[in-house]
Amino acid sequence: MSDYILEMRNISKSFAGVQALKDVTIRCKPGQVYGLVGENGAGKSTLMKILAGAYKADAGEIIYKGEQREGATAGEVIDSGISIIYQELALVSQMSVAENIFLGREPRYALGVLNLRELHSRSAALLTRLGIRLDTRLPVSELTVAQRQLVEIAKALSQNADLIVMDEPSAILAGSELDQLFSIIESLVEQGVTIIYISHRLDEVFRIADEVTVLKDGELVETRPIDQLDRPTLVELMVGRPLDEIFPQTDHEQGELVMVAEHISSDTILEDASLELYAGEILGIAGMVGSGRTELARALFGADPLTSGEVRLVTNKGASWSNPAKAIESGLALVPEDRKSHGLFTSLSARINVTLPILSRITRMGVLQSQAEDEIVEAAKERLSIVMASADQEAQYLSGGNQQKLVLAKWLETNPTVVILDEPTRGVDVGAKFEIYKLMRQLNDRGIAIVMISSELPEVIGMSDRILVMNAGRIVGEFAHGEASEAGIIELATMADSGANHS
Amino acid sequence: MSVAKPHESAKQVNGWRARKFVADYGVYIALLLLLLAAAVLTPKLYEVNTIAVVMRQASQLGIVAIGQTLILLVAGLDLSIGGIFVMTSIVVADVTNGRDDLVIPAILIALALGALVGLGNGVLVTKRRVPPFVATLGMLVLVKGATQAYTRGVPGGFVPEVLGIVNQSWFVLSIPLLLWLGLNAVFMFVLGRTAYGRKVYAVGSNTEAARLSGISVDTIRISVYVLGSCLAVASGVVLTGYVGYVDRFIGTGLELDSIAAAIVGGTAFVGGRGGLLGTIAGVLLIQLLSTMALLMGLDIQVQFIIKGLVILGAVTLYSLANVEE
Ligand SMILES: Nc1ncnc2c1ncn2[C@@H]1O[C@H](COP(=O)(O)OP(=O)(O)OP(=O)(O)O)[C@@H](O)[C@H]1O
Ligand SMILES: [Mg+2]
Repeated sequence: MSDYILEMRNISKSFAGVQALKDVTIRCKPGQVYGLVGENGAGKSTLMKILAGAYKADAGEIIYKGEQREGATAGEVIDSGISIIYQELALVSQMSVAENIFLGREPRYALGVLNLRELHSRSAALLTRLGIRLDTRLPVSELTVAQRQLVEIAKALSQNADLIVMDEPSAILAGSELDQLFSIIESLVEQGVTIIYISHRLDEVFRIADEVTVLKDGELVETRPIDQLDRPTLVELMVGRPLDEIFPQTDHEQGELVMVAEHISSDTILEDASLELYAGEILGIAGMVGSGRTELARALFGADPLTSGEVRLVTNKGASWSNPAKAIESGLALVPEDRKSHGLFTSLSARINVTLPILSRITRMGVLQSQAEDEIVEAAKERLSIVMASADQEAQYLSGGNQQKLVLAKWLETNPTVVILDEPTRGVDVGAKFEIYKLMRQLNDRGIAIVMISSELPEVIGMSDRILVMNAGRIVGEFAHGEASEAGIIELATMADSGANHS
Repeated sequence: MSVAKPHESAKQVNGWRARKFVADYGVYIALLLLLLAAAVLTPKLYEVNTIAVVMRQASQLGIVAIGQTLILLVAGLDLSIGGIFVMTSIVVADVTNGRDDLVIPAILIALALGALVGLGNGVLVTKRRVPPFVATLGMLVLVKGATQAYTRGVPGGFVPEVLGIVNQSWFVLSIPLLLWLGLNAVFMFVLGRTAYGRKVYAVGSNTEAARLSGISVDTIRISVYVLGSCLAVASGVVLTGYVGYVDRFIGTGLELDSIAAAIVGGTAFVGGRGGLLGTIAGVLLIQLLSTMALLMGLDIQVQFIIKGLVILGAVTLYSLANVEE
């Protein structure tokens, strides 16, 4: 028997018109962490879905625990000791947290009667291991994306796997949640578990991976031990050219006041939040999972009704609004955190997704002008380097990062006064990330104010002109540009007393 | 989801492609096969007169199915159509009492009332969050009850003679057919080429994302119910002209047939996917099945069984094709 637990040899896969993988080979030894990186649409998720038994390879073989795998259903793959945390969260939203974690493997009494007590206590124990306290009876539909992410991780852990694939598990985690995740990975590795870790956050890859594999356009670029790599080299391998990772800054003074929120609360954790927003700035919002950042964004946009307080524009005759349609009319735009259920029309074409908020610009008397539309879609595709077979491809068939780019593109085409970005670069590759940063600064140059929520602290610190920190539904502090440090933000964000959701 | 042994994989991929192909073109293929079968089983189908009749009846169903497709696209459903048919025929007979010159006002009144019913459906579904199935079924009972109360069980009045024009055909062309084709052209354009059409698809595909994109979701949903009801009125006028008298059971079954036609034609029950081309094929398929069964002298029960099997088959195929490779 070889000392590899898993070999995927010469894997190829194509979808109607798209070669997603070409002759890719990876090998994994037990007790190691393998980073898998590459641009959006490089084929990372596809490779892992083949491993999971969700897709079939067109060619190639999989050798697992010394045996050639002769086809297996997704269930058999899990039973053989492989568990996968999917990039597109795959929980059953009507079921409770605990039911999801043990879906299909619920602890039972004799005669198949569910042992609910054990179901909940074991789920709670798993979640505690991840450092979160969460009512295991809550239906998943009531959780935030980040909480769902953690449940997904708990689910993978509960399967006692020998090999765990994590497809961007950290895309919206920050600070202590991330530390928890890494300490769990470390202890798993000590027990001999193999981890395949997909991420666009290269810092994390350097922090935990032993070896890194780079894919580009469906082909293997290189596999290298991490100690023979530095960040610029890795980025160059991924992007195919050197890339200056410098956060673009504004060069102008703070503009005039454009929007104020006064003591706003909504029927969520959000309480008594006030802020001022100035033309041409980026206001960063930092905080832990569940601290109310997304709720703040939704309240500002009128997506959740306010229970008290007021949001209004100072310009535009002091417009205020009570629903998204009016907010958009007043010049707001929101890129939501939960792209699958709030941002994307998965069954519709990329084209329709991009132009939906600007229908009035591409129609004359209600009739679509194809040429105007094509131009806009083409420009968006170029600008954000969206990988798609054609603009008529259904959004559900795009890779995760490319879906995110679609959602962004859709709002960049409107002519807003204020743009609210909730995790704008979630799942986006480094190259495109910096394109997005540049775009944000171009919006700033046009006087557009941006509110940016992000759990990626280097991004918040690098891009924000001011940073507000949230904790347990309240805004608890502000940093000016240059004053903020990761440690400082985390300290405010996790301050006890208000940090009831976290241990 | 399935995984094959490596040497089987090519075959399985082809299997999936085949399913996808069948899902995309299945209804047209089925239609073709049925036409071929008819040549053997019921050659009478190919007589000009029969074709004219089939097309006239298909038009009746087809006009309703346009509205049903719109409603299904926003993940809705309309079961109140039978009520609208009865109401339409009563209004036509009552207002005109046989006078040709009052046909236009009668139709306008019927359209207004129909719009009101659609509005009721839409408001129940959106503002009161009643599930479409329950809301429109309730509306069906309400409208039928109201018409009965109004006529005290014995419908009076006469259908104006001029409406008999719907029975005439020139070869296979007839007014109902032209109306069906015209309405299809209009609504295909609306769905495919206008902002409104885009919004309909968006609302059906992801309601919350549509709301966050600034679309007035409720307005769109209400509007398709109103359109659906108005189309049912149009079809009801045609049917009234065809029958020539007021029938309490006129149009019964069209709601289910129209849903079946749309679903068989590839419009998804969950909304956001499908269109009118498929529905046209679905309508023809269902109409052909009925006519052939009739020509072959099959019992009505057998007809239902065949229809049921076709619908189940279609739904199964579509869901199979949506499973990932
Ligand atoms: N079911 C599908 N049908 C058609 N094309 C697909 C399908 N799944 C993936 N693709 C295409 O295959 C390519 C690889 O996609 P994949 O999801 O593996 O990328 P990825 O490396 O995970 O990207 P990301 O970083 O954005 O998640 C993309 O071009 C994508 O559009
Ligand atoms: Mg991916």
